[in-house]
Amino acid sequence: MKNIIYNMGYFLKEAKTIIQLNLLSNVFSVLSTGLIFFILAMVISGWWASSHVVELIKDEAEISVYYNEELDNDRILELIKNIKAIHGVQKVRSVDAIEAYHRMEEIMGKDAKVLEIFDDNPFSPFIEAQINLEEMNLVLEKLHEIQDIDHVRDNRAVLDRLKSISSIVKFLGTLVVTAVGISTLVITAHIIRQGVYSNREQINTLRLLGAPEGFIVLPFLLEGLLLTLGGGVLAAALAVFTLNNVYGQVVGQLPFIPLPAREVLVSGIIVLMLLISITLGILGSLFGLLTARSNCV
Amino acid sequence: MIEAKDICLKYPDGTMGLQNIDFKIETGEVVYITGPSGSGKTSILKLLMGIEYPTTGSLKVFGQSMTKDKVMEIRRLRMIIGPVFQDFKLLKGRTVIENIILGMRFLGFSKKQMKKNAGSALIKVGLEHKALSLVDNLSLGESQRIAIARALARKPSLIIADEPTGNLDKENALNILELLTLSKDPKTTVIITTHATHLIEDIKEGMRVQMDGGHILCERIGEV
Repeated sequence: MKNIIYNMGYFLKEAKTIIQLNLLSNVFSVLSTGLIFFILAMVISGWWASSHVVELIKDEAEISVYYNEELDNDRILELIKNIKAIHGVQKVRSVDAIEAYHRMEEIMGKDAKVLEIFDDNPFSPFIEAQINLEEMNLVLEKLHEIQDIDHVRDNRAVLDRLKSISSIVKFLGTLVVTAVGISTLVITAHIIRQGVYSNREQINTLRLLGAPEGFIVLPFLLEGLLLTLGGGVLAAALAVFTLNNVYGQVVGQLPFIPLPAREVLVSGIIVLMLLISITLGILGSLFGLLTARSNCV
Repeated sequence: MIEAKDICLKYPDGTMGLQNIDFKIETGEVVYITGPSGSGKTSILKLLMGIEYPTTGSLKVFGQSMTKDKVMEIRRLRMIIGPVFQDFKLLKGRTVIENIILGMRFLGFSKKQMKKNAGSALIKVGLEHKALSLVDNLSLGESQRIAIARALARKPSLIIADEPTGNLDKENALNILELLTLSKDPKTTVIITTHATHLIEDIKEGMRVQMDGGHILCERIGEV
């Protein structure tokens, strides 16, 4: 370890020399890893934003609880209290028949005229409960145990679809992130193998001079790290530019989409890209070095 | 001390590199190995460096058995060897001083000591003015001298030089031999191979080893 710290200046200089010896090829490597990382950054951003949206929707999933209309106010208040106490229920409020009528008018728009054919308000009062989608089954089970509840409109089909969309987004995100991660690892390993191959004479000379293996491979590890870090910085810059533009477009034209805060997403992506590029750079370099260790002298 | 007992070296293609070789080299001794191309000179050096291993027999270099299962120990042994390769093996894209210092970086010398060793080795080979030149721009003779300077700067216990006079005229070749033998520490053992037997005819000290067809014939020239 002492030897490594003592020679750090040399290792960095050697890494720079190794990069310079194949400059054009290394520039292309930085560009290609940068573009791959950019794709990764976009996938992660999409994943992050869609997960955020789905999480918000999940948290705001609503069910309507209908009760016996003959119940007095005290009993309705008690019912609300009981529903609120169920684990997974976030907000509860009472919607009277008049509000229910107006809501339907809003939903139907011009077609709301059809409601005028009724002499009396055809809608019943109900209790609206915001629930956590993950806890839906449990909440419904508990609701059925409460007395005086007539029936529950749970929008199960819609909520189940939301649930499956959330799972698909998670699955696809994991799949793409894994695929891009492996591609980057393989590319980095290949770059390092190429570096080892084109510097095999130097490596053999150092071995013949008795240099320890750690001393020989460290400049190559640094080379891999610097190249992927360069790719990471390039990807982060492209991602910041793209996200700023996309946010400008989406927030202006589709303001109702609850995207995560731009600053949080952008700074998160920058940190993530740098960490991922460093990790993949080290892992790829190690993998490349391990698979290139042939013809030892 | 280096001791070989009845060693044979058979290459994977079946060629016999060395056959039933015995020799003993004392610490501080200078040994010239001569013989025509293919006589086994380089094979002996390969065994001493641990690049090849004896097929049969035993070889010990400073107490270290040179066998296939001792790779790590042999790698460590190389730290006390100053090799001068026939093709120099200087690292391109680096300066002369960088090449010489690189050979010492992992030997535990301080930065000051490395610079001092490199400077005095360059003075010995007469190329101190080339310290900052890229090795890519050196002539064959200069490269040869830098390779020797790299070996000397390491303060090795054993200098192994493979055909260090190969690219030089007689005068320069003799200078190189003189450099390797006179610049060395008294406790440093030197083994030099050369196919130019005429170069060592006038040498008065050391051991001359004549090789032919993988066999060895020892001849002591003078007192060591």
